[in-house]
Amino acid sequence: MRNFVLVPEALVVAGALVLLAAGRTRGRSRWWFPGAAAGVAVIALVVELWVGATLATFFGGALVQDRFALFAKAAVLLAAALAIAVTDWTDENAPAVGMAMILLAAFGVMVIASAGDFVGLWAGLEVAAAAGVVLVSLRRSDLGLRLLVAGGVASALLLIGLAFIYATTGTADLQAVRHAAATTDATLPFGIPVLLLLGGLAVRAGLPPLQFVRMPVGLGASPLGAGIVIGLVAAAALTVAVKVAALLTLVPAAFSPYLLVAAAVAMVGGGAAALATRSPRARLAYLAAGQVGWVAAGLATHYRSGLGASVFLLGAFAIAATAGPAVMGGADIGEFALAGMGLLRPARAAAIALVFLSLAGAPPLAGFFGEFAVAASLAQGGQMWLLALGGLGALMSLAAAVGTLRAIYLQNPPDDSRRAAGARLPVLTRLSTYGAIALCVVIAGYGVFANPIVSLADQASEALLR
Amino acid sequence: MMLAAIAAATPTPAGVPGAGIFTSPLILSLTIWVPVVVAIVINTFPNPRGRYDTLMKQIAFFTNLGIFFVLFIAYHLFETFLPTLQYEEKLPWLPAFGVTYHLGVDGPGMTMMMLSCLIGMISVLASWGVRERVRSYFTLMLLAQATVNGAIAAHDMFVLLLFWGAATIPVALLILGWGGPRREAAAWRLVGYWGLGTAALLVATMTVYAASGGTSFDMDVLFKSALTPRVQLGAGLALIVAAATRLPLFPFHGWVRDVYSEAPLGVSVVIAGTASRLGGYLLLRGLVAADADASRLLSPLLAALAAVTIVYAAVVALRSVDLRWAAAHLAMVPGAITVFGLAALTPLAIAGSVLSMFTGGLAAALIVAAAWVLTDRAQSRSLSVLSGLAPRMPILTWLLVLGALGLLGVPLLASFPAETMILFGSFKTQPIGAFAVAAGLVLTAIALAVLVHRVLFGQPNPDAPAVSDASLGETWYLGLLVGGLLWVGLFPSGPKLPGTDLPIFDPGLINVMSAGITDIASPYVQPAPTAAQ
Repeated sequence: MRNFVLVPEALVVAGALVLLAAGRTRGRSRWWFPGAAAGVAVIALVVELWVGATLATFFGGALVQDRFALFAKAAVLLAAALAIAVTDWTDENAPAVGMAMILLAAFGVMVIASAGDFVGLWAGLEVAAAAGVVLVSLRRSDLGLRLLVAGGVASALLLIGLAFIYATTGTADLQAVRHAAATTDATLPFGIPVLLLLGGLAVRAGLPPLQFVRMPVGLGASPLGAGIVIGLVAAAALTVAVKVAALLTLVPAAFSPYLLVAAAVAMVGGGAAALATRSPRARLAYLAAGQVGWVAAGLATHYRSGLGASVFLLGAFAIAATAGPAVMGGADIGEFALAGMGLLRPARAAAIALVFLSLAGAPPLAGFFGEFAVAASLAQGGQMWLLALGGLGALMSLAAAVGTLRAIYLQNPPDDSRRAAGARLPVLTRLSTYGAIALCVVIAGYGVFANPIVSLADQASEALLR
Repeated sequence: MMLAAIAAATPTPAGVPGAGIFTSPLILSLTIWVPVVVAIVINTFPNPRGRYDTLMKQIAFFTNLGIFFVLFIAYHLFETFLPTLQYEEKLPWLPAFGVTYHLGVDGPGMTMMMLSCLIGMISVLASWGVRERVRSYFTLMLLAQATVNGAIAAHDMFVLLLFWGAATIPVALLILGWGGPRREAAAWRLVGYWGLGTAALLVATMTVYAASGGTSFDMDVLFKSALTPRVQLGAGLALIVAAATRLPLFPFHGWVRDVYSEAPLGVSVVIAGTASRLGGYLLLRGLVAADADASRLLSPLLAALAAVTIVYAAVVALRSVDLRWAAAHLAMVPGAITVFGLAALTPLAIAGSVLSMFTGGLAAALIVAAAWVLTDRAQSRSLSVLSGLAPRMPILTWLLVLGALGLLGVPLLASFPAETMILFGSFKTQPIGAFAVAAGLVLTAIALAVLVHRVLFGQPNPDAPAVSDASLGETWYLGLLVGGLLWVGLFPSGPKLPGTDLPIFDPGLINVMSAGITDIASPYVQPAPTAAQ
């Protein structure tokens, strides 16, 4: 089995390269590309679930296959497969490149998930972010450049932080850093690099108030590009944050105060901004930012239960935030683009509705269960003030999601003139319909049948703290 | 006599609580998940140009009728002598957090389930006139009913929170989609207040969960933990806020006027009839039954909130210029009476409160629905226009008057024993509150008398638009609400075979309701005076 552990990574990279090469050929029919790309992701997911339970290390400990790697890789592969399936490919500038980039972004997260040292964390994050930059640049080169510059700043902060931690602990190996940190006091020379590191991750994840680049980019990109930036890149940053938080659980004073503040601002700010905006994609991005705050809150508890809750919620977030923009299609122009969707595209409408509700933390969907798990760990940690702020943020998020549901189900479809002005309906294909149905099932099932997933998330947190 | 002999010879089902043909442990799940499944089926059912609108209404109605029928049999087989949970379902859901899918009903729970299913059926009948987006409407209605049933049956705080919070979404969408001209304000206020209540319930739940060691959300475990006074006070206050937003109680009543006046009729019936009763039920379960110390500490606050709510509702109703607004405020009164009974903390008052949840739901739904239909038929909501309608609306006159009497609790109606039990049970423990509530009820009576006199028996307004009386369909569903009040008022212990104590088919709401109340009220029983005293 050990020989098959890296097969999912190999499949995903090979699939991306084949798609890039096939995209260069002319005159060939490409209708089968999305199905094949989604199929590659699904096969990789099945292989991961089949052989991923095998514990192994590769490349001298640079890659580690443990329960956390299994959980994160499975979640991101599922998110990528669903996003590919539900995307309206007629709305993408270069479909083959788009499919290749989402597979590469997923590969980046997979590298982070199984990274055994700082290099793997950094490299995986850069791969995921680079895929986002490529896809955004295909439609808006100016936004791609902006994303690149902001990513450079985030990367610099991250590198400086990692370098200082390396200097303090004398190692880049995550297990060794964890053991070294256990004997390190939370002094200023240790706290500042951690702050820089978390700052870099916050910019990457687009945590309010650091969403100044991610938000316009998310709005201007193609649906799939927005999915990568809002979903997969943020999931990559959160995966790094989970690993870093696990490293530092024995010195909570070094990171917990920053994360508590960041989580509070993100939860309340995300909910308030989602309520204030009318554009569905911007609303989704802010709801996602609010949920990122919940993940951060779970990490800030520095307990195993909080870590497990954050890991569980991270999976729900990755699926909803990646597939959400893709399933919405070109709905960045205004709420009326979604009007009457429930009548015209019922499966897609249901998927959009569930994505919004899940990101808002509405019961009984995946996001609710994740946020509830985080809330339980906050209560156990005595962070009732953060729980109350989270409740406020969730309340605003819920109101915002209800507003979008109203547009989908209760408003009449726009007339032809408005459709011509940009409110184009996503093209109906069999794959997108099945993909939307699968997305609904996953989001509902992730919550209702949460026990095995929670159990895996718990094992993942245990593996991180070992 | 032969029937009596057969009945006497039939052994009482024994062994498993809720035994008989309904030993199936899925009966409560059926009441929750069947509406959800039917909602999904309706929503995915092709309906080109509304061709199957009527069929969808029929499906929704027969779903509710079927659930009511099944639940009625369960009600009939309910073991009235057992204080424990019956029809219990317990499955581990998220063992890592101590979450179980735990459902079960005791006497008060079964009473609420009966109310919910009856109101569910009536609300579908009240929605028969919906013409636009019928599929979406009935999908949301069924989901709303499922969430209410789930919140009643839940015996795990996580499950309760899940259904409590989920109810907001379908109800808000129903108002936004099918409400009156001010539906936006109504829906957002509802989302705001109910969302605040959900957040407060979350905080209360988590406070107790953390203080009890963070092992389980099961009410059996959570509410039996030893808590510090500080935790008891904090969690109790949060629970009161959660309940007050739903009932509603002053000052958390901001949604009432707009929602009851702008929501479609069927939705108003569900909210007034059952969704808002959940507030009282939460206080019973989460405070009175769970934590006697916190209940004693917070009972003056609860009594004060209840008294202020009744007086406030009556005064605002007196000053209203809109019949629906007046009815909306008057519909707050039964909830406040329920809360006052719970605040009294005596066995009699607690029993009265449980009964008043049932009767208050029917009375509030009746007054709101009757005012809604009357203003619809009279083509005006303004009290300066509506006058002297009784001769032209004889049926609606009867129904509105019965609704008013139901609110006040006059003899022969079920609200009479409920209010009597509450007032008799509270004079000893909450004398000032009882006086204030009684004064509030007098004010309510004045408000109702003024309203009824002006609208029905005043001088007819020659400039008023043409009016018509209630249709047969409207008479049916309003009549069912009246019938419920009359049935329990006339036969609180169920109809008996002449000359015997054997119930014919209804074991009696009072008997069913009482199962479990003894246990709930046991910490509040006053010690009997000794001989020396």
